[in-house]
Amino acid sequence: MSYLIQQTLIYAIPLMIVALAGVFAERSGIINLALEGIMIFGAFIGVLFVHMCQKHGIFALLPGAANWGSMQLFEILGMVIAGILGSLFALLLGFAAINLKADQTISGTALNMLAPAIVLFFVRIIANQEELRLYKGDAAEWFMIKKGMLGLGEADNFFVNTFLNKVYIATYLCILIFIVCSIVLYKTRFGLRLRSCGENPQAADSLGINVRKMRYSGIIISGFLAGMGGFVYALTTSNCMSNGDVAGFGFLALAVMIFGNWKPLNIALAALLFGLFKCLAAGYSSIDINGDGIKLLYELSKHPTWGKVLNPNFYRMLPYLISLLVLAFTSKKSRAPKAEGIPYDKGMR
Amino acid sequence: MEQATSEAYPYVIEMLHITKEFPGIKANDDITLQLKRGEIHALLGENGAGKSTLMSVLFGLYQPEQGEIRKDGKVVEIKDPNDATALNIGMVHQHFKLVEVFTVLDNIILGAEDTKLGFLQKKQARKKVSELSEKYGLRINMDAKVEDITVGMQQRVEILKMLYRDNDILIFDEPTAVLTPQEIEELMQIMRNLKAEGKSILFISHKLNEIMEVSDRVTVLRKGKYVGTVDTASTNKEELSRMMVGRPVQLVVEKDEAQPKETILKIEGLTVPSKIHKNDAVKNVSLEVHAGEIVCIAGIDGNGQTEFVHALTGLEKPSAGKITLCGKDITKASIRKRALTGMSHIPEDRHKHGLVLDFTLEQNMVLQRYFEPQFQNHGFIKFDAVREYADKLIEEFDVRSGQGPVTKARSMSGGNQQKAIVAREFDRNMPLIVAVQPTRGLDVGAIEYIHSQLVKQRDEGKAVLLVSLELEEVMNLSDRILVMYEGEIVGELDPKQTTTQELGLYMAGAKRQDKEGKAE
Amino acid sequence: MKKSGNLLSKDGTRSVLATLISILIGLVAGAVIILIVGLCDSKLGLTEAWKGIRLIFFGLLSKGQQAGRLIFGFNSTNIGDMLFRAVPIIMTGLSVSLAYKTGLFNIGASGQYLAGTTASLFIALKMNTAVVSPWIVWILAFLGGILAGAFWGSIPGMLKAFLNINEVLACIMTNWLAANIVTWLFEGSGLQCTEGTKTQVIWKTSHNGVATAKMGLDKIFPDSQQIDGGIIIAIIIAILVYILLSKTTLGFELKACGSNRHSAKYAGIRDKRCIILSMALAGALAGAGASLYWLSGTTEFHWQTYLSLPGEGFTGIAVALLGACHPIANIFTGMFMSTLNVAGSKLSFFTGYNEYITDVIIAVIVYLSAFSLLIKTWLGKRAKKAEEKKIPDVVYTSKNMPEGAKPPVSENTGKEGNEQ
Repeated sequence: MSYLIQQTLIYAIPLMIVALAGVFAERSGIINLALEGIMIFGAFIGVLFVHMCQKHGIFALLPGAANWGSMQLFEILGMVIAGILGSLFALLLGFAAINLKADQTISGTALNMLAPAIVLFFVRIIANQEELRLYKGDAAEWFMIKKGMLGLGEADNFFVNTFLNKVYIATYLCILIFIVCSIVLYKTRFGLRLRSCGENPQAADSLGINVRKMRYSGIIISGFLAGMGGFVYALTTSNCMSNGDVAGFGFLALAVMIFGNWKPLNIALAALLFGLFKCLAAGYSSIDINGDGIKLLYELSKHPTWGKVLNPNFYRMLPYLISLLVLAFTSKKSRAPKAEGIPYDKGMR
Repeated sequence: MEQATSEAYPYVIEMLHITKEFPGIKANDDITLQLKRGEIHALLGENGAGKSTLMSVLFGLYQPEQGEIRKDGKVVEIKDPNDATALNIGMVHQHFKLVEVFTVLDNIILGAEDTKLGFLQKKQARKKVSELSEKYGLRINMDAKVEDITVGMQQRVEILKMLYRDNDILIFDEPTAVLTPQEIEELMQIMRNLKAEGKSILFISHKLNEIMEVSDRVTVLRKGKYVGTVDTASTNKEELSRMMVGRPVQLVVEKDEAQPKETILKIEGLTVPSKIHKNDAVKNVSLEVHAGEIVCIAGIDGNGQTEFVHALTGLEKPSAGKITLCGKDITKASIRKRALTGMSHIPEDRHKHGLVLDFTLEQNMVLQRYFEPQFQNHGFIKFDAVREYADKLIEEFDVRSGQGPVTKARSMSGGNQQKAIVAREFDRNMPLIVAVQPTRGLDVGAIEYIHSQLVKQRDEGKAVLLVSLELEEVMNLSDRILVMYEGEIVGELDPKQTTTQELGLYMAGAKRQDKEGKAE
Repeated sequence: MKKSGNLLSKDGTRSVLATLISILIGLVAGAVIILIVGLCDSKLGLTEAWKGIRLIFFGLLSKGQQAGRLIFGFNSTNIGDMLFRAVPIIMTGLSVSLAYKTGLFNIGASGQYLAGTTASLFIALKMNTAVVSPWIVWILAFLGGILAGAFWGSIPGMLKAFLNINEVLACIMTNWLAANIVTWLFEGSGLQCTEGTKTQVIWKTSHNGVATAKMGLDKIFPDSQQIDGGIIIAIIIAILVYILLSKTTLGFELKACGSNRHSAKYAGIRDKRCIILSMALAGALAGAGASLYWLSGTTEFHWQTYLSLPGEGFTGIAVALLGACHPIANIFTGMFMSTLNVAGSKLSFFTGYNEYITDVIIAVIVYLSAFSLLIKTWLGKRAKKAEEKKIPDVVYTSKNMPEGAKPPVSENTGKEGNEQ
């Protein structure tokens, strides 16, 4: 059970944070189809940062070099840098959408094409292969928090085993950021104004709100969250490796956002659901739901008839299938921000 | 503050020699407008005369190429709405600037929020809004979402937005277009209250009655140019309309007595579900239209007229009822089947429905008949025939455009776009013409033209079903009036026997007839 | 039309010019990246960068290198390969173009391409060519690919038509669904190629004797292993799409519906049918592209697709947008993209750089085409300045229309017209 929860969280948290990235863009009025691309870019930047720090022995320069605490600091630094570069990358979309009033779907698609291309181009030059890994060791060894580090080595209860053992600080940081961002969106002046720009920019403009500025803020925050989410994804799910791909995770985040009806709480729940499916697809053979040693899903996949359906292929496509079904059933009710995707033009009333 | 000097200066706002150009058009050409302290000043002009542009300049939405704006005699620069607000200028826009998914309160405070460390503080705001709403009699529900409240309340929210910002120069841009005669009366009273409290009001309208009733002075614009400013007390409607249009206006449509003949359209018990709420948008409507008469459906916007027309023309599916056209049951027929059976349709929204704006004029001309053998051969379009036909219609109906048949519909003026639709629909020569707000947003010349064309069609024996929101149009053009209120026909009136006031009562649901046509 | 003076005022000229500008900026962007990387990386250096830049621009003409110096000249292998690789992206380009003309953004060409791939390969490899003539198998496989693509494309079409679901989102989902389903299907298909150490690869169709006819092209490009009649079929299809869109009533309906669904409906055009049909046709084109590529007999398919989508679908977007969604223009933009592709492989082969730079260039071009309208408008304004002529608002019919006349206000990028 602990394994199931941990694995689900590992997939759900990046989904959640990237879906929130989508919310900030769309609430300000810009369709951010480039989430996938920004994630890829952010993942690359974060991994590159860690790789370079290892290569040039920067970790060793820190006080208490091998200390796990300073490693956490580095992890957070990696997240911040991935986020900042993600913002810069997203500004390409912002510039096209806000200044040039370009088609946001096309510019988003362009960024989704640009990110893997540019990442792979550099990865090949830097690593001389198709993927960039840590310079030495693996993510678990360098960054994972184990209960022993917290002085809980002896403790063997469910809570400690699930939430304090073999976890990454990034996971909890993301939850914190998610909560803070949700509050900003709903309880602050900035949030109110941002949302008004996605719903009715003409109204916002007539009240002296700078629509351009708000939309730039939206896209910058969006880029930060998506870039950071990309690095967290790479760190926690693929052993801190960058290969110009996040396997459609950015698009899945879009689906989560729509499923969650652009509202943070719903998004968190949707992300958990989708995370569960991802977790089933990736680790179905080692999930022990009842804690009695019987790996039910594994047994099922070997079953002569059930096994035909309940196999990794099925779990893998489940999120997309569900997204499609959710889209189909909620399309009448779902409320996208009204002005999203429409360039704001002062002259048009 | 220099209260003393500014109080002495009679004009609170002056806009001097304002010129504003858009690509290809001078929207404002050397316009001067002076607003006195504590007066209601009307700005009169036709659609497209430049009123809205001028107000947008004052409100900081546009920058003029020439001219200056003075507040209390001092030159000011208004670069954006923030500057306007700082000068205590507020505006109720023609299309309300409200965020529909926000609450009323959020809409009022948006852009002028109280905050503590960036967090919203709404308590103070709530108190102030409720005081204001009591003081001026502006009833609202602060916690309702804007999308759920009536148009009238939305307008009150807009007014409160200005008052919340302590504005004392208030601009009302065509505020009565969406209101019932009774609501208009209420608005006039609110405006007088505001004036009594010392607010200065700019009132934009093209409706002479309202201007005569409420304003102190009137400034008239025509085709982007300044015509003059007069005291309301010393003028009359005829003079104003002459100033507005530039020539004496035939306010009444000339037409002979109608000669109704056989029934063309018969509708029985038509019911259409609403897309927005659970109730039916159209409830059990029955009516007949005969050849050689103009029947008008009057009513305030949003009382089911749109849904009724959509069900009649096939754009929406009715849940009950029967429609018979020229003796054929078309209740379940496709849109094209209806059109071919005998229906022409001048749609309400010429951009949404009437035209494919990115198509050329000639393509739009054959939009309803490209599939006829005249224009195609085994699925291949006969371009020569299309061109010839378009040329014919362009000449016959005097449709003006930059490049003739190959002009993109988007680049044409509203009046000519409407003429193109009228040409296309009339030339199909169908026994029934459904015309929905055929003159919306057009200038007087185009309105006169379309009205005379409709009468001509009637005299040629067509059945005309007109849907209009303009009381004047309803009274002038129709041979019979059916009033629609909340999806029901609540009365049938004879335009020669009734008054605008009575019509207004029916439209507002205050009065209705029973089955025998007697008023209740 | 008056000649030189107002060449810019012609819409077609402006489109072509905007395309050329986009291409130039894209190539220059690629060259700049190469240069910067060359200067920063001691392994590469300026000479390597100079090689790389020349290959980006003239990779198609590369004839190899001698003593570390690149040699350029006519190379029939390159051109043959270029034409072969152009086939699938011309087809996905047509797919995106056709949908775009109908007002739909078909980002799902990748999924449709996979659907076509699967159907074609299954039919071609599973049918016994000892019993059925390979020719017939080829045709069946080709049709199967088309139908599978059409089916896959029609799913987002139906979702859009009946439930008003944004086709972009639906396409994204169906893409990834296809990627997973394809892996699933091939995993248990028994079609895996087992020779040598190869894994995750399906047999080439030549295994079965099914291969696209060369149609004499191998005589023109004798050194190219890959060239076959596919390019001719693609060009014919492009012409057919052009005729469909611009000369027929069906094209009229599709375009009307794409330009304004509401007014099309008002005019009695069945809008839902148009949307589904358009997406199905787009899917069919993408599926046909896949068939032509995999039935060549020279290509082998990696069936583990669930982690990434085939690039052809996205390159198709670039091909379409770069060609202003004109079917005939797509033939040329498709060939241009494939030229880049060839240049990319030369780059990896002869320098320390790699082929991904061409993907960067393609992405930059797509990014630029998002505001190509802006470039066009800008060109138009320049033209207007050159003319500086005012057209009175009078009645023009085609008979008395002055030559070179322009509407007074025509540049408007908004979707719906603005009142007043």
